[in-house]
This record gives sequence, C-alpha cells and structure tokens, in this order.
Amino acid sequence: MSIEMKILGISAHYHDSAAAVVVDGVPVCAVQEERLSRHKSDAAFPLSAIEWCLEHAGIEPAALDAVVFYERPMLKFDRILTCALRAFPHSWSAFPKAMKNSLGEKLWVRGIISSYLGVPGRKILFTEHHQSHAAAAFLTAPTRRAAILTTDGVGEWATLTVGHGERHPDGATSITLLREIRFPHSLGMLYSTFTAYLGFAVNEDEYKVMGLAGYGRPTMVDKVRKVIRRTPDGAFALDLDYFEFHTTARRSYSSKFVELFGPPRNRYEPIDLQTEDGQRFADCAASVQRVLEDMLVEIARALHEETGLSDLCLGGGVALNGVANARVLAESGFERLFVPPAPGDAGCAVGAALYADRIHFKNADREVPDHPFWGPSVDGLELARIAREDSQIVDELDEHTLIDRTADDLAAGRIVGWMEGALEFGPRALGHRSILTAPHSAAMRDRLNRDIKYREQFRPFAPVVPIEAAERYFVLPSGGTRLARFMSGVFPVRPEWQGRLEAVTHVDGTARVQALERDMAPRLHALLEAYAQRSGMPVLLNTSLNLAGEPIVNRAVEGYSTFLRSGIDVLVADRTRVTKRGSYLTKRKEEVHAQEA
Amino acid sequence: MHQSAAVAQFDRLLAPVHRWIWRNDERRLQKLLRFGETEVDGGRDILRAAEVTRDPLLRRLYLVHAVDEHRHGGLFRRRAAALLSAWPSSSRPTFQADWISPGGHGLDDLKVDEETDDTMLAFLHLSEKAAASRFTVYRDVLQSDLGTRAVFEEILHDEMFHMNYTLTQLVRVSPERHRHHLWRARLRRIWKGYLRLATALAGVLGGLLLTIQYFVLLPPFVWFARRAERQEPRGWTPISPARNRSLMNEY
Repeated sequence: MSIEMKILGISAHYHDSAAAVVVDGVPVCAVQEERLSRHKSDAAFPLSAIEWCLEHAGIEPAALDAVVFYERPMLKFDRILTCALRAFPHSWSAFPKAMKNSLGEKLWVRGIISSYLGVPGRKILFTEHHQSHAAAAFLTAPTRRAAILTTDGVGEWATLTVGHGERHPDGATSITLLREIRFPHSLGMLYSTFTAYLGFAVNEDEYKVMGLAGYGRPTMVDKVRKVIRRTPDGAFALDLDYFEFHTTARRSYSSKFVELFGPPRNRYEPIDLQTEDGQRFADCAASVQRVLEDMLVEIARALHEETGLSDLCLGGGVALNGVANARVLAESGFERLFVPPAPGDAGCAVGAALYADRIHFKNADREVPDHPFWGPSVDGLELARIAREDSQIVDELDEHTLIDRTADDLAAGRIVGWMEGALEFGPRALGHRSILTAPHSAAMRDRLNRDIKYREQFRPFAPVVPIEAAERYFVLPSGGTRLARFMSGVFPVRPEWQGRLEAVTHVDGTARVQALERDMAPRLHALLEAYAQRSGMPVLLNTSLNLAGEPIVNRAVEGYSTFLRSGIDVLVADRTRVTKRGSYLTKRKEEVHAQEA
Repeated sequence: MHQSAAVAQFDRLLAPVHRWIWRNDERRLQKLLRFGETEVDGGRDILRAAEVTRDPLLRRLYLVHAVDEHRHGGLFRRRAAALLSAWPSSSRPTFQADWISPGGHGLDDLKVDEETDDTMLAFLHLSEKAAASRFTVYRDVLQSDLGTRAVFEEILHDEMFHMNYTLTQLVRVSPERHRHHLWRARLRRIWKGYLRLATALAGVLGGLLLTIQYFVLLPPFVWFARRAERQEPRGWTPISPARNRSLMNEY
C-alpha cells in the first residue's frame, strides 16, 4: 500500500467529460473539460482537464498509482449490442451508427489512456458507472453511515441503484449496492424523452422541463403513469411501446407516445404559454415532473424503511432535479439528504478516484473538504491588464473597499460579474463564477433574461443567502439548509417576502436557494452582509457567469469577453474591479469601419 | 486592401442548383436553421480567438466579429421561425430535437487554441470571402422571397467588414508573409474539404458494411438475446457482491 497514493479519475465520452486527482485520499483538484475547451458539455476525452489536474497537483503521469475510468466500456458495449439484437430488425438503422460510435474510441479506453499518459495498462482501473455515482455522493458527504440512491439515464446496464455506505471506526470504508433497475427502464430516460418531446436538447435542457413544469398543472399524470408503471416489487418499468430510444437513435418516443400526448413541440418555435399548445406542453412537463417525484419519493421511502438510516446520499443526473430532491427530503423519512455539487457524470471522475482509493486500495478514510471549488483560480491581474488595454475603468482595491463598492453597485441596481478563487466543479455557479444582482424586482429578472442570459422567460433565477438567514426568507424543512448548500433543492419563498424577492421567486412561489456558509465562500458571504446593510436583506440573485450556449467562464479573459458582450455593468475578479464604458463593442465597430473606409 | 464580395466562378456555376434548392419551402427552412447553427458555432470559435490572442486590437475586432456572428444566427433563426409560423399547421414540418449529444468534435472543427494570429486571420479571411461569395448568390436567387433576401443582404454587409478587417489585420501582423499564410490557408481548406468528402464516403461505406453484417451475422444471436430478455425479471435485479470485486476488468 502506498503511503501517499496519487489517483487520477476520468469521466468521458458521453456528456460532460471531466478529470480529478485524489492525493492521499483527498481530492486536490477537479475540472470539467468544457470549462477549458470552451465547448459546452464537451464529451471528448478530457485531455486538457487531465493536463491541468496533473500540473496543478504537481504530478507526472508516471508517478500516478492508478488511473480510474468511471465506467466499464465493454459492459456498456454489451448493452448496446444486446439492445440492437433484441430490437432486430427495427434497429437496423441505429446499428451502424451505434457501432461506429462505439468502435471508434469508446471501446478502447485502456489503450487511449495508456497512449495519452504513458501509464502501463495494469495501472488503469474501471469502476461501474453507478459505483462512481455512489462514491461521488457518499464519499464526499460528511456522514458516517448513509443509504445511497443513484439514478440517471443509463450507465452500463443500471439506470438506478440502491445501497448503503459506511465509514467504519477502523478507517475502512464500504459501499454496498444492493440492487438495480436495468436499461431500458429508466427514470432519466423517461425525463429525457419528455425533454426531447418538449423540443429541448437531451442531456442539456432537462432543467428547462423542470422550470416549465412550474407553469403547468399535472393534468396528464394518468397518461404518464401509462408509460411508466410500478412493478410489484416496488421498482418501475417503462411500457416500451411508447419509446424508441432503445431501438433507434432517430428519436426517443414512438408514434403511440405522440398519440397519447399530442404533437411534439417544434424546437424552433418559442413556447407561448398563452396558447393551448403552450399550456399543454407546460402541463406535460408538470405531469412528468410529478411522476418522477412520486417515484423517487416512494423508492427513497422504501429504502429508508429497509435500512433504518437517517442519511441519504443521492447521485446521478436525476439528482440535479431540485424539486424532486426537496420532496424526497420532506417525504421519504430521511433526516438529511446529501447531493454532491456535481452529481452527474462529471462528478464520476471524483467518485471513481475515491472509490479506487477507499474500496480497491483499502486506504483509510479521510475527510473530504465540503466545498465545490476544485478548478483553476482566477487571476485578477490578468483582468486588469486586458481591461486597461481596452481603456476600461479599472480599480484594484483592498478587500474591504471592494466589498463596499460592489455592495453599492448591487444596491444601485447594477449587474455584477463576480469571479473569485477556484472554479466550481459541477453545473452550478456557487459564488466563484457568478452573475450577482439585486433580487427584488421582476424587471431585473426580465433584464437578465433579455440582456445577459438571452433565454426563455419561463426559466427562474436562484437566490444566494447566508445560511444563518436562510430560514427567515425561505421555508426550509429539517435538513433543508444542507440540501441548499450546493443549490440542490427547491423550497418555497416565505409569502411575506415574495414581493421583495420577485426576481428569484418562481411562478409557483419557490426558489432554488443556495444557503451559504461563511467558511465556504467568505468573500461572497461578506458581500451579502454588506448588501444587507444597504437593502435590509442579505439575499442576492446568483446565476452562472456565462451566456446562453456557453460553458461557465473559467479564466478572467473569458469573464471579460462575457462582460463585454452582455449587459453586465461591473466585473470583479479577485481584487480587480472593471466598469464598462458605454456600449463598447458598437463604438469599436464604428471606429474600425471608419478606419477601414 | 479593400475587397468587394466577388462571386466565385464555382458559386456562379452552381447558381441554378442554389435556385432549385431555395425554391422549395421546406429546404429553405432547413437551410436557414442550419445556417443559424453554423453562424453561432463560428461565433464561438471567433470568441475563443478573442480570448486567446495577446493582441489587443485583434481581441476587440474578434469580439465585434463574434457578436456579429451571434446576431446572424439570430437573424437566420428568426427568419426561419417567421417562415414556419406562416406554414399551415396541418402540414408543418417537424424537426426532432437531438436526443443524443454529439461526442467529440468533427474534422472540420477549428482548434482555435492551436492557431497563431496570422494563421487564424488567414483562415477567417478565406472563410468570410467564401461565405460572402455564396451569400451573394443566395441573395440573388431569392428574388421571390424578399424577407429572406433582406436577411442575406444585411449579413453580407457584415461579411464584407469581416472579410476586409481580417485581410488588413493579416497584413499588419504578418507584413512579410501574409501571402504565404493565405496560400497555406487555401491549401488547408482544400485538404479539409477532401477530408470531409473522404470521411463522408468512408461513413457511407462503413454504414453499408455494418448494415450487411447486421442482417447476415446478427440473426442467429437474436433468438438468444430475446430469450435472455424474457428471462430477465422486471423490476429490481439484485447485485451480486462478487460482481465488483476487481476494478481491473472492463466488463
């Protein structure tokens, strides 16, 4: 057994590739490939992420004790081939695509890792997809014993697993997955099918379905329950007559599905909730959301009764559904619910590395820092240099003045791009790469949607509040502040505050709140307090620092380009504060045109 | 250093084909939607170029360019939406949302981080020139659809600016070797065109071979697969503790 074991975890090839390094049992860095390559949801082998992680950790590839891939490629291929056989001859058009897709790169993971990194094949390990999810959820959570529930679209064969994990007094760790539900029966695929039906991009836009659900009524629950049914043993099964995702790559739902729910939405037509069709789509979203929640609650409740444990660790892409998470917490019987900041496939890079460390190598348990900030740090001086080259207004301030000036900006209704420290790992901006603004008026929400995020009106924005003040503004059940730590739950805004929190209150009176502990992001916490002195309320709107279709920014220069192309008024990186001079890009174009002429 | 949007001989020859393509409403819609996506994708690459260059003037110009491309994407999408809304709802074409995200990047993908300022400018100049030539033809063949024609007209105005600034800046950053870079970029475009063609051809051949194998090799195993499926229990499947003992296996 190595004294200081160095393990690289990798997730790749399907969506949101990532790499992570664990040294001596503790993660030291992790980053999604998209943040470096700047291709949203980049699924390519995460070479840039690996290079950054190794450089950051100061490790040569040869010094790695193991490289762990987050799933078993051959087992996945087995599923793809078996599904093609089962669907014969209907799978004839999907088969060549599936084979070309798998045989190109995805099947030869050991060789690819070996050739890129120069590590011998024996050092390359493979966890199962849902083991990685389970490890990412349990081994990063501050709990000794917990039930584990993982659920996503599909891994190799499993789509949902239940089990439990334990940190034993002697330092040993165990993760036991007891049983699974297998492809094609999948809660994730059910939700993704509705995502496609509603005209959104699968594996990207599921959160839009959740946002749209707030505008609908669950009038089609009975219809949804026709396509997914409970089995006598408490699991569920899809009625495959309504689906095509298991037989073809062309579309995920069948004609029978369309007969049941009506014509699908054309992705190029905006959703108009005033029309009959628009309301039907919202009702459809509300119905599938309700069924998903019910299923998760029932499975979690049964798991609680079976294990008798008070904590539940939830992993997999479905764990990004904050509305469902809140219901699981409130109704399943578990007292605490732990969802990691990256519950999806990217987080499996951390999960796979930790699983290898604790379970395969049997290293003693170590406490894992309870924050999401594992990526590259921002350089305020870089921002100052670039902004000065462009003759922007640049201030380099001490900490106290910076907080005061930014709080003044926010109180004056300005929109602030906020970059500090290490980049978040996972899909949420949790205060290190955020757009912050006052949360009080609906006009601000509309301005953000129109001038910054360029996105649908029905999508809500999230608030950030110090943990000690969270319950004053939001109705948090017992354990709610934990779920709100990484913005993993959606909770009601207290009715008396909804009028002053219009920009972050969804149409159904809820908000995906982040309850911020001072230790996790001290500077943002100080900003919230400074803002409270001006507005009387320590709540800010917090949304990710990126524009539509782009990954969250990483470096200062990316924040700067986002700042210039949008309606952000002030950009802060570390101790550098930049204020925009007028409509900068338009002016430049006119100047250049004049020069050219 | 100014250039006007001269129509390439090749595009001029293809004008009747373009006229035929744009005459059909559904094809026109598809084209506009695809252009919308291409412009936005191109805008992202140019944005990346703005983020990686160390030259402040280029950064500013690239940002202007990226914003233009994004706006063009919006113009194409809005025009497509307008055409779509005018369509009778009974015969409205449906476009499926992609339900599997693409993995990795295609051959045509520009690796902006690996480009230098001069190679990037040469590449952009030729791309913009080709686009301006093609868009001029589209504008000319769209005499019966004034709305779409106006979109191309507006975009052409920007393309001219892009075409000219990229050449001016190329001469500035590489006064001695700008012609060399342009020739290299031309050869690269030809090579990439060949690769695209070869990949498409290989894809068709590969697909054909795999389809033949599907019908010849798979049938004997279908029965086994279906029998196994029938024997699979619905609902929960227990996970054997022995299953995950070793992390060495890929299966």
